[in-house]
Amino acid sequence: MKEANIGKERFYRRYGVLLSFIIIFSVLALTTPGFLSLSNLTTVLRQISINGILAVGVTFVIITGGIDLSLGSTVALAGVTAALFARQGGDALALPLIAGITTGLVVGLVNGLIVTRGKVAPFIVTLGMMTILRGTALVVSDGRPVSNLSNAFNAIGGGDLMGIPIPILVFLAVVVVSHVILDRTVIGRYVYATGGNEKAAYASGVDTDRVKMFVYVICGAFAGLAGIVLASRINTGQPNAGVSFELDAIAAAVIGGTNLSGGIGKVTGTVLGVLIIGIINNGLDLLNVTSYYQQIIKGVIIIGAVLIDRNKR
Amino acid sequence: MRKYFNGLHPAASLLLLSLAFAFGCNTKARQAGKPYRIGVTMLSLQSEFVVNVKDAMEKYASNDSVELLIVDAERNADKQVQQVESFIARGVDAIILNPCEVEASSPAVDRARKAGIPVVNVNSETKSTPDAFVGSNDEESAEIAIEHIAKLTGGNGNVLMIEGYIGQAAQIKRTSGAERTLAKHPGLKVLAKQSAEWDRAKAMSLMENWIQVHGDRIDAVFAQNDEMGLGALQALEQAGLKNKVKVVSIDAIRDALGAVKEKRLDATVYQDAQGQGQGAVQAALALIRTGKVEKTQVLIPFQLVTSENVDAYLNRR
Repeated sequence: MKEANIGKERFYRRYGVLLSFIIIFSVLALTTPGFLSLSNLTTVLRQISINGILAVGVTFVIITGGIDLSLGSTVALAGVTAALFARQGGDALALPLIAGITTGLVVGLVNGLIVTRGKVAPFIVTLGMMTILRGTALVVSDGRPVSNLSNAFNAIGGGDLMGIPIPILVFLAVVVVSHVILDRTVIGRYVYATGGNEKAAYASGVDTDRVKMFVYVICGAFAGLAGIVLASRINTGQPNAGVSFELDAIAAAVIGGTNLSGGIGKVTGTVLGVLIIGIINNGLDLLNVTSYYQQIIKGVIIIGAVLIDRNKR
Repeated sequence: MRKYFNGLHPAASLLLLSLAFAFGCNTKARQAGKPYRIGVTMLSLQSEFVVNVKDAMEKYASNDSVELLIVDAERNADKQVQQVESFIARGVDAIILNPCEVEASSPAVDRARKAGIPVVNVNSETKSTPDAFVGSNDEESAEIAIEHIAKLTGGNGNVLMIEGYIGQAAQIKRTSGAERTLAKHPGLKVLAKQSAEWDRAKAMSLMENWIQVHGDRIDAVFAQNDEMGLGALQALEQAGLKNKVKVVSIDAIRDALGAVKEKRLDATVYQDAQGQGQGAVQAALALIRTGKVEKTQVLIPFQLVTSENVDAYLNRR
C-alpha cells in the first residue's frame, strides 16, 4: 500500500505538470484559430526562450531553498552592457557576448557572496540587488535605450540556424546543460542535498556554501545570456527592460513542480511551466482577449496548474 | 575614514557610507548664489521622453537665476505627494509637477496651493487645477497619427492599434483621440486593439501573435508610443510584411527618428519635450516674480514627422 502510494506520488510529480500542459494546449488548439499552425508554434517558442533561460536558472536557486528577485534587473543591466559594446564596431559580436555574460556572472557572484558570507536571507539580498542593478543600468545607459547595434549582434535575436530561430537554440542548449548538471553530476546531487536538508548535507561533507555560490553564479550567468537575447531581439539595450521578469520565471519553475522550500525540482518540469505560460500569452492574444481579462485569466491558470499538480499527489 | 567606523556595527557603517555617498552626489545641485529654488517631481526618469523634458528644464534653468531640485516619482503617485510635501517643508519658491496620475497626484497640487506655493503641471493633467499647465493635448497626437494612416492607405484598410499602459492618462487620451478620428474614416476598420504597456519587447511579441491571426489582411499599425511602434516594426520586418504595412507611432524619440530617416517607420508624431520643459520653468518663474502667468494653459502643438522633414528634428537632438 505504502509502496503503491509512493509510486502514485512519483507518477504525479513527474506527469502532473504534463497533464496541465496537455489540457491547456488542447483547449487552445480546439478554440483558437491559427494556434496549431507551425509558424505560430515557432513564434511561441521564440517568445518563451527568454523566460525559459531565466526560469531554468532560477530553478537551480530555488532547489537549494533560495530565491533570486534580481533577475529582471540583471537582464536589463546585461542587455545594456552588451549593447554598449555592440554598437562600437560593424560586426561586434564576441565582445558584447562576453560583456553581457560577465555582467550576469558578477551579479551572481555578489548575490552568492552576500547570501553565504553575510548570512543574509536570499529574498533580502536579491531584493536589494534588484534596485541596485536597475539603478546601475540607468546610470550606465544615461536613462535612454542604447541602439544602433551591430548586425552580427542583432542576428542572435532575429536570425536562425538551419531554419530554427537562434533564441530557441540558446534556450535548448541551456536546458540540456542544466538537465545534465542537475541529473547526472555530483554537483547536481549536492544542489538537491543542500535544499533538502542543509544541515545533514553539511554534516555529510557537502560544502553547502560553495553549492549556493554555484547556483547564484549559474543563475546570474543565464540572466546575462537572457539579457543578450532580449537586447538583440529588440535591437536595443533598454535600461527599463525586464521589469517583473523574475516573477514569470519563478512562476514557471513553480508551475513546473519546483518546491519553493527547496529540495525538489526538475529542469523538464520548469520547461513545461515555461511552455504553459507561453501558450497562454500567445493564445489570449490570438483570441483578442482584452488586457484586463488577460491578467485575470493568467493568474487563475497559474494557480490552477499548480493545484492540479499538488492535489493529484 | 576606517578608524572612525571601527567598532561600529557593519550595517551602521554601510548606512553611513551610503549617506555620505548621497551627499556627495547632491553637492552638484547645491549651487550658491541662485536666488530661486524650484522643486521638480517627474513621473519617471526611466522614460526617455520624461528625461528629455527634464534636460530641457535644466538647460533653461542654467541660463537663469534658478536652482532646480529634481526628484523621480518612479510612477508612484503616493511617493510624488510625499515629495511635494518635503518641497513645501524645505520652503521652495515654486513646484513643477509632472503628474503620475490624474486623480492620485491631485493631493500634491492641493497641498502646495494650500501652502501658498505656486504649482505648474507639466505634460499631463491632474484633477485639481494648478496655477498653470504646460503640455500638449494627447488626443491631438493620436488624431495626427490616424489622419496620416488614412492618407497613406487612401482611407481604406485594416488597422491594428497597440495601446499604452491601460488606465494612464496618455493611453486613455490617445485611444479616444484615435477612435474619434477613425470614426471619421469609415473605410478604416480596426482588426484588434491590445496593450503592450509602452514596451518594445511586448509590442514585438504582440505583433508576432497578430501576424499569425491576421497575416496578409493587415494594412496599418498605430502604436501609441515609439517604443511599441519600433517593436511592431521589427516583427513585421522579420515576417517580410513591412512593404505592405504602414506603421505610425508617437513621441519622436531618437530611435524612431532614425527609423523614419531610414524609411522603415512611416511616421512618428513629435511631442515637444524642449517646449514643455522650457515652458514649465518659464511659467514657474513668472509665478514667482509676478504672482501670475499670461496664460494658465500653455498648449505646445504636436507635429507630424515623416522622411521629408525628419532631418530638422534629428538636428534638434
